[in-house]
Amino acid sequence: MEKYTLIITEKPSAAQRVAKALDHKEKPKKIEEKGVPYFVAHRGEKKLVVAPALGHLYTIVQTQGKRNYYPIFNFKWAPRYVAERGAKQIRAWIEVFSKLARDADQFIGACDYDLEGSLIGYCILKYACGNKEAAAKRMKFSTLMKSELEKSYEEPLPQLDFALIETGKTRHEVDWLYGINLSRALTLAAKRWSGRYATLSTGRVQGPTLRFLVGREKAIRCFVPTPYWDIKAMVEIEGSRYEAEYKRKEIEKKVEADTVVEKCRRKIGEIEKINVKNFRQMPPIPFDLGKLQTEAYSLFRYTPRRTAGIAERLYLNALISYPRTSSQKLPPIINYRAILKALSKKPAYRKLASELLEKEALKPREGTKEDPAHPAVYPTGNLPTRALSEPEKKVWDLIVRRFMAVFGEPGIKQSMRVCIKVNDHRFYLHGRQILKEGWMHFYKPYIRAEEVLLPPLKEGEKIRLKQVTREDKFTKPPPRYNPSSLLKKMEEEGIGTKATRADIIETLYSRRYVTDERIVVTDLGIDVFNTLQKHCPEVISVEFTRGLEEKMEQVQSGNEKRENILIDAVNQLKPLLEEFKQKEETIGQTLSNAIKRARMQERIIGNCPNCGTGQLTILYSRKTRKRFIGCTNYFKGLCKTSFPLPQRGTAKPLEKNCKSCGWPLVQVRMRGRRPWRLCFNPECPSKEERRKRVEMQNLQQRSDK
Amino acid sequence: MKCKICNREAINEYCELHEKANKSIMDKYNTWKKALNVSWKEYLNEIAKNPYTGSSAKELAEHLKKGG
Repeated sequence: MEKYTLIITEKPSAAQRVAKALDHKEKPKKIEEKGVPYFVAHRGEKKLVVAPALGHLYTIVQTQGKRNYYPIFNFKWAPRYVAERGAKQIRAWIEVFSKLARDADQFIGACDYDLEGSLIGYCILKYACGNKEAAAKRMKFSTLMKSELEKSYEEPLPQLDFALIETGKTRHEVDWLYGINLSRALTLAAKRWSGRYATLSTGRVQGPTLRFLVGREKAIRCFVPTPYWDIKAMVEIEGSRYEAEYKRKEIEKKVEADTVVEKCRRKIGEIEKINVKNFRQMPPIPFDLGKLQTEAYSLFRYTPRRTAGIAERLYLNALISYPRTSSQKLPPIINYRAILKALSKKPAYRKLASELLEKEALKPREGTKEDPAHPAVYPTGNLPTRALSEPEKKVWDLIVRRFMAVFGEPGIKQSMRVCIKVNDHRFYLHGRQILKEGWMHFYKPYIRAEEVLLPPLKEGEKIRLKQVTREDKFTKPPPRYNPSSLLKKMEEEGIGTKATRADIIETLYSRRYVTDERIVVTDLGIDVFNTLQKHCPEVISVEFTRGLEEKMEQVQSGNEKRENILIDAVNQLKPLLEEFKQKEETIGQTLSNAIKRARMQERIIGNCPNCGTGQLTILYSRKTRKRFIGCTNYFKGLCKTSFPLPQRGTAKPLEKNCKSCGWPLVQVRMRGRRPWRLCFNPECPSKEERRKRVEMQNLQQRSDK
Repeated sequence: MKCKICNREAINEYCELHEKANKSIMDKYNTWKKALNVSWKEYLNEIAKNPYTGSSAKELAEHLKKGG
């Protein structure tokens, strides 16, 4: 049997790219075994087999003991299908790797060059290929461009990046220890009290993240606004109207605001002073993953997880560099000119790229953050070979324009403040304009600067105040986090990694601790947080998590040992979980009540239209177990409002009201049928219309016959 | 002891959230009085219907209106 080099990639699409780039004819042969694809390529005399993983094929499992037990401190790395119900297909992938390893004489890890990628490759080489990790080489690349893949194959690193692997292992193991023990403690406490199972979870990063949200939620829920007033004056200059603001932005007393309005109404003011300021606006810095996620959220409303997914697809299509980076630097080695030249082949970028190429020297503006493994996100210069989806197009365009903008000149903006004096009261008229576009020229569709152009004005000039109005205002509660601002906060506080932050936010949603895009913490989220704060405050402490992150980073630099971190974690968890167990009954009761309230809350449809004080809820008859809509005041004997519901399928509040009658709607889902909206108001005009329509159809059918 | 409003575990009269809302309501009354010269009852009415008032503060304002 001919021997070959086995190259391991992270995903099937990456395997195809690598095989195509390395094959001398660029036509590798695709083979599929047990549903697992791999590619055979030839390079010179050498046969190459490029086989993909499917993300992590191995995970951590407990070595002994039952699933309904804690604390657990014994663990091992095992195939994912052992631990996860939905991972059956992983068995085939591992079997194919084991088979391919038998006839391979060389091994190369070519997974993404980061913590997760290195660990994926290491586990396959160690467990599936039979301890080949020490003999394997490592391909290191930041784009899936042919030239870079060829170079990384010809000049591989002599061995796997063990420091990165050790850090990855530590991170996974520490996260597992915290996650499994604390989540089990919460879930089992609730189950033992109520007898009903509901998944509750927390973790080393999830806890502190929930802390940020609960802190904000409590501030919003307890917020009491205070009134204030501001005054606006409408001034007319050369036939055009402009709005001027009163000098004091917040007036605390209504009487004071009324006095100002009275004294200035329909008066003629005089321009006392004109302040003009020119300032430079520096180009933006290149995208790291976090900045890309923030920008995509603010421009397109894509959640961080969605943006990461889109960027990953663009990377696998060799359109952009590796996106999971924390670098804000673009080293010259990436060849700025070659990228711009390649981009100029696309008509939309031709003019912009040519303008930059005319510059003698190209020097990007860079941020401070560095990543030893990858540069900041940049376009490779490749143009799409397949039709991109709309979101892919948008994110790619954003990355291309950002790349061009970082080479732009600083922009120059002008701000103008005109002070108008009326009866010893001063109003300000603000104008702003862009004098020199600079980098904004390249980033134009994504610039959010509004220009207000003022006519030529002179000090001493008289101006008539056409209208002076008082605006009643209230102070506002602190803003809610959204997925993007939460991700930014996690980054600032140094918790989680660029690869995990977006997933942790999604977990908070799937556990029903939070809802909505502008994040609202549910009662369940608050109760879980309160329980953790009361019984094990360390695990929701931001300082503790940040400290652990720093320690784990030291594993990579060789200043800390994985074993020490694991021992520390066990030593911290042991007493904490013992204490938790002792108080299990009290904790279980609190959590069970919270779950019960959350389930009740999910069934609330809206306010009762009859009694006005109760809430309509989906209830079950104690006698017949049939489902219906009833008022919560029924149990107090105050209201007997009830409506029937279909008994088959699932029914849940839609959180929207009927367009015809304004009553809340219910969504009913049945297997094999499209979900439908049900208005349960028997008097709803839409029902009458529907009845008439059906009657008309029946009549029509009869007359046709 | 249970919270008079939501039946959760109380610190004094109310649970943690309603206790915090209570403090906020008490603290802000002076600002409202100076701004609009309103009575305690008028103040409670105003904050109970204000869209920026938080849900716990609203519940407490309603409770206080009823003489709680």
